[in-house]
Amino acid sequence: MTGDRPLGLVLFEMTLLVLLGPLVTGTIQKLKARLQCRQGAGLLQPYRDLAKLLRKGTVQADTASGFFSAIPVLVLAATAATTALVPVVQAGPSAVPLGDALMLLGLFALARFLTAIGALDAGGAFGGMGASREMTVAPLVEPVLMMVVFSTAVAAGTTELGALAAHRGTSWILAWRAPDFLGFAAMLLLLPAETGRIPVDNPDTHLELTMLHEGMLLEHSGPGLGCMVLASHTRQIVTLALVSALFFPVGPVDGASVTGLLLGAGAFAVKILVLATFLALVESSYAKLRFFRVPQYLGVGFVCALAALALRIL
Amino acid sequence: MSAETVQTIIDDLGALLLFTMIVIVAAGQIYRAIYAVAAQSLLIAIAGGVLAAATGNTDLWVIAGVTLGVKAIVLPWTLHWVVRRMNVRREVEPVIPVAATLALAVVVVVMSFHLSASLGSVQPAITGNALPVGIALTLLGVLVMATRKTALTQMVGLFASENGIFFTAMAVTQGMPLIIEIGVILDVILAALVMAIMVLRVRSTVDADIADLAELRG
Repeated sequence: MTGDRPLGLVLFEMTLLVLLGPLVTGTIQKLKARLQCRQGAGLLQPYRDLAKLLRKGTVQADTASGFFSAIPVLVLAATAATTALVPVVQAGPSAVPLGDALMLLGLFALARFLTAIGALDAGGAFGGMGASREMTVAPLVEPVLMMVVFSTAVAAGTTELGALAAHRGTSWILAWRAPDFLGFAAMLLLLPAETGRIPVDNPDTHLELTMLHEGMLLEHSGPGLGCMVLASHTRQIVTLALVSALFFPVGPVDGASVTGLLLGAGAFAVKILVLATFLALVESSYAKLRFFRVPQYLGVGFVCALAALALRIL
Repeated sequence: MSAETVQTIIDDLGALLLFTMIVIVAAGQIYRAIYAVAAQSLLIAIAGGVLAAATGNTDLWVIAGVTLGVKAIVLPWTLHWVVRRMNVRREVEPVIPVAATLALAVVVVVMSFHLSASLGSVQPAITGNALPVGIALTLLGVLVMATRKTALTQMVGLFASENGIFFTAMAVTQGMPLIIEIGVILDVILAALVMAIMVLRVRSTVDADIADLAELRG
């Protein structure tokens, strides 16, 4: 394997993703507010929230075990590790073997598992409810994500996301084959589920019984909650970066020059903005599904992904 | 256009057709199914246009135009009108849960790909994935007809099924004779009219839907 992306670049991309995660959330919230004819909070509001949380003290449930306080750090670590696996400004496999798409999905699953364990550990009713729901949705989302990844990986012959993005080339939609359309459709259906948004989850509320992800965060406070929130921002931007690595062209493979990197960064910003706009539009135009309707919604994604795989293999 | 480009475009359209079909199978509201079937007909009209441009067959242009006019505009509009006229509940009423229908749809899709892969000697004569997609569309249309209680959703299934047959015929034979295609389209229009009138009459006379007729005793 020829290493195209040096370790320095990967580290730079990791920092970039973790730092930009809250900005994406801020952008989506701003877009939503504008769509609802509100002024909305500033783009930087998630950063302010994080800074506030990091300054606050911690309160912990009496029933929580010692493991509970380690949960936020572990979740953040698992999520931050995924940022090393997606190409951002430049396509091509990384110089050091870090892992592939399966590793990324595995780390996501680990973070999800830890979050659920933390919620159950604290012993709150809402936490347990959220964890149970999250664990119901997870087995519906993860296999479909894997199948979408596989449907593109079969064509490229690798599951390394950088190499996948390099295989996608720069001609974008003209180079799309039939399975890509179905895979992309499945991905767009899954995107709200994976980023914890309407119609599967509602990121804005801490009050309703319908919440999934937020319910699990209720028992955390102070810096711990800050870590969990930062982890969910990071998870969101990594998911968006995964979509763009699988289906959109990433910067030039041999663009080690400064212009190449700048071009890649600009392209990345545009792609993330487009996907964020999509999420904001979906969230403004649909209501949250009843929980028992969620499997049906995700089933559409499953069938699409399976048809994409069938088109690719059979 | 080169043969390869045409094949790619037909394949892509086939994938989109499959997507609209999945939306029809999963649709919880009748309007969504109607819009999906309209989009499906639009895609088939585009496929007809592409094949016409590629083969230089003027009949295909006519067929594409008629498909666009009749199946993408008039029939969905008729369905829409019937829904509004009848004031029906807008949810589709499935016989088995929609999730189960989706699972069956998976089986159907895989089976139809498997089936057409086993047709080894026929395959080279066929445009790309058009045959398995066409078979899948046809069978999924039948599936929709079989698993829905209300007559309107069954009509949507019939149109989808018919679209599948149409797509297969167009892609495999590079255009059937014009007279046959026109005959098929006329059949569809007549069927739609008869079904629409039937549904409205049954509704206005006995205030029941098709599924309730099973309990009818003479």
